[in-house]
Amino acid sequence: MENTARAKDVRFSYSDSDKYAVDGASLTIGEGEYVALLGANGSGKSTMAKLLDVLEMPNEGDITVFGIDTKDDDKFWDIRRNTGCVFQNPDNQIVGTTVEEDVAFGPENIGIPNPELSERVENALKYVGLFDKKERQTAKLSGGQKQKLAIAGVLAMSPKFLLLDEATAMLDPVSRDEFLALVEKLVRENKISVLTITHDMTEASRTDKVYIMEKGKITLEGAPQDVLNNVPEMLEAGLDSPIYSKLLWEIKNATGLNYSLEDAKTIRSALRFLGAHFTDAKIKAPSAKPKYDETLISVKNLSYAYDDKGPKALKNIDLDIKKGELLALVGRSGCGKTTLITHMNGIIRPQGEGKVEFHYGDTVLSTSKKKEIKQIRQKVGLVFQYPEYQLFEETVYKDIAYGPKKMGMKDDELDKAIRDAAKQVGLDDEVLEKSPFELSGGQQRRVALAGVIAMKPEVLVLDEPAAGLDSRGRREMFKTISELKKNGTTIVLVTHYMDEAYEHADRICTMKDGMIMGVSDPIKMFEDKDALREMEIRAPYLRRFLEIIAVRLGLDPVSKKNLLRAQSVKEAALLLGGVDA
Amino acid sequence: MLKDISIGRYYRANSVLHNLDPRCKAILFILYLVAIFLLKSPIAIGLLVVLTVILQILGKIPPKVMWNSAKPILPIIILIVVLNVLTLKSGDVIFSWWKITITEGGVKSALIMAVRLLMMILVTSIILTLTTTPLKLSEALEKLFAPLKVIKFPVHEMAMMMSIALRFIPTLIDETDKIMKAQVSRGADYDTGTIVSRLKGYVTVLVPLFVSSFRRADELATAMDARCYNGGEGRTKLHPLKLTGKDVAIFIALSLGAFLLVAVEKIDSIRSLF
Repeated sequence: MENTARAKDVRFSYSDSDKYAVDGASLTIGEGEYVALLGANGSGKSTMAKLLDVLEMPNEGDITVFGIDTKDDDKFWDIRRNTGCVFQNPDNQIVGTTVEEDVAFGPENIGIPNPELSERVENALKYVGLFDKKERQTAKLSGGQKQKLAIAGVLAMSPKFLLLDEATAMLDPVSRDEFLALVEKLVRENKISVLTITHDMTEASRTDKVYIMEKGKITLEGAPQDVLNNVPEMLEAGLDSPIYSKLLWEIKNATGLNYSLEDAKTIRSALRFLGAHFTDAKIKAPSAKPKYDETLISVKNLSYAYDDKGPKALKNIDLDIKKGELLALVGRSGCGKTTLITHMNGIIRPQGEGKVEFHYGDTVLSTSKKKEIKQIRQKVGLVFQYPEYQLFEETVYKDIAYGPKKMGMKDDELDKAIRDAAKQVGLDDEVLEKSPFELSGGQQRRVALAGVIAMKPEVLVLDEPAAGLDSRGRREMFKTISELKKNGTTIVLVTHYMDEAYEHADRICTMKDGMIMGVSDPIKMFEDKDALREMEIRAPYLRRFLEIIAVRLGLDPVSKKNLLRAQSVKEAALLLGGVDA
Repeated sequence: MLKDISIGRYYRANSVLHNLDPRCKAILFILYLVAIFLLKSPIAIGLLVVLTVILQILGKIPPKVMWNSAKPILPIIILIVVLNVLTLKSGDVIFSWWKITITEGGVKSALIMAVRLLMMILVTSIILTLTTTPLKLSEALEKLFAPLKVIKFPVHEMAMMMSIALRFIPTLIDETDKIMKAQVSRGADYDTGTIVSRLKGYVTVLVPLFVSSFRRADELATAMDARCYNGGEGRTKLHPLKLTGKDVAIFIALSLGAFLLVAVEKIDSIRSLF
């Protein structure tokens, strides 16, 4: 097999400093091969993509693509012409005002004449399924449609090599699956070689080969099942592993029961291993979860339309949020989650009959009353998606101070609130005097979160707090959230991911088309299979896996029920191992 | 919060004017502008009103849309009329009280001025903004200014900048909206307080907006590079502007209107000498 791209001992630095973004990395991508490059944020993987498309030049080492050296000034256009890139942010790679103009941009640049040009545009749009929207304004597309448009723009260049730089990071799971299906179709039918840079393990597990990058170096490479299931190594690299290998690893941590890499390679081998050790196990009931009864926020008969003629974004919503709980709001992009939470602190005020009320002791505050809104905003902290884009002050300290100051905090009280909030999100004291703009994206997000926590809200509403973070970032974010909850803060978590909701929530509220489909305890929610089908909800991976295990181990009904009450891999491991938490 | 801003105010329809080559429209616009500046006689102005109505019918633009594009400048027109009536003094005195004197000539020229200004706005809207998308207009300008490339004027780059700016306006409006909501959640208040404190408040929106615009610009540049953008040289176009016989015929017919206006004006002014 011929190689599409090969990098050998490549080093690259953005400035003249000794800090190398890529520090001696080598990789090969064969013709027609589908390869994943994984790594934590800042590991140098995006830089690697830029080097392969000759958008940057290596300081040391060689890169050849289609057999052409990237240093060859006469021929590097041939590389770019035959290589297509799709980047992370859908908005920042669209040039055209309308869909067809954007697809035409690339072929126009390389001078494809009409009628071939319009044929290429038509075919590319048909391939990704956007042909009926060809005259639409690009700004009006959804995130998933924008990424498909980006693929169409690349396809119109008829590339031989496709580079995806975290192209699915900002998509919801359904759009992500559609996007990946499209990419896999390209690999299969058009024999295009693909390098995908991603945090997503499911995506990586579907490739032919994976490379793991850490601090500019390639630390692991091989077939996905060999690399991804090596749990300790993956954690070390700031990544995650599939659920079955993680379960074996957690069992080992809990009970000391050793397993080999061979056991953790596939679901089948993991089940075989579990079968050998835990058949007919008696599983105890996990400790009871606390109950939350006191209503803190009540949403009553809330409907909302952004304009008179348009469809309703919310339809007759009734929802109680209980004091101290973590309530997860789950649903696809555009289902009304964000509109609902924007009502919770009165940024959007109820239309018509609807009401949003906050119960504080004996007093009831309502967002329908203008005078009470300021009080409500102090009590209900709202953190929108990608909150790092709202930072504006010269120092982190001043930025965190903005909210509490507006609420009237002063002097020592203010200083203490800022430092406490910073500590809660895991920011060091020395960071406080830095400019927020010199921090990494993950740290910026924590600053933005601290800015809301410092206002000491009773309720914290978080819209996709872990979006775009790598696995380590996600773990840390959820650790912070659990600690906030432990300290008594009520939390509303908006997420696309059922697994995330399942693991962390006391109750899950699912939404679709502006309506609430159901609110329930996560365990109960997935017991009624018919109801799930009706709501078009898929059970979390963990739950489906545990159901398979229960059958394989031949558990008695009580044990099975107990095992299915595990909400995390760790909990499942403790239950299987018979160890008390 | 910012959703009601509409840029360009393009009115979607399928009409003779909508389908006319944007280069023709740009030149027609200039012809009419010059003609309107030359008009003084009431007859010519009357003819201008008739021509504007004909253009409106050709462009299939409903009166309500016309009214909406005229509405914002009405206060200015009224102000100009009032100033003219009070300051211009010629002909018979109609009204006199204390220091205020209103003359027949003053009223007449104020009215002519007002109608002329109103027609200028309406003709601009009909020929350009209502019937031409901003993108088409930027393409027309690129073509019309192409000769300037000889003196190294970056015509293609200017047009590209204009179309990218147009592409990003909705994106940035969305982003501004998001940032404002986030800051309002943290207690910002953009609607009350003194002007100084409100302006200060906007720093909380402008700084993040600038920072993100630079990031967007940087990422867009990389994406354009990756899509082989290398300036205007050797580029082709998906929908190149094509001048048809029909375009030329409509252009000639409509420009005759402008010449007719000037001719009527001349004849009328010569006649008035006798």
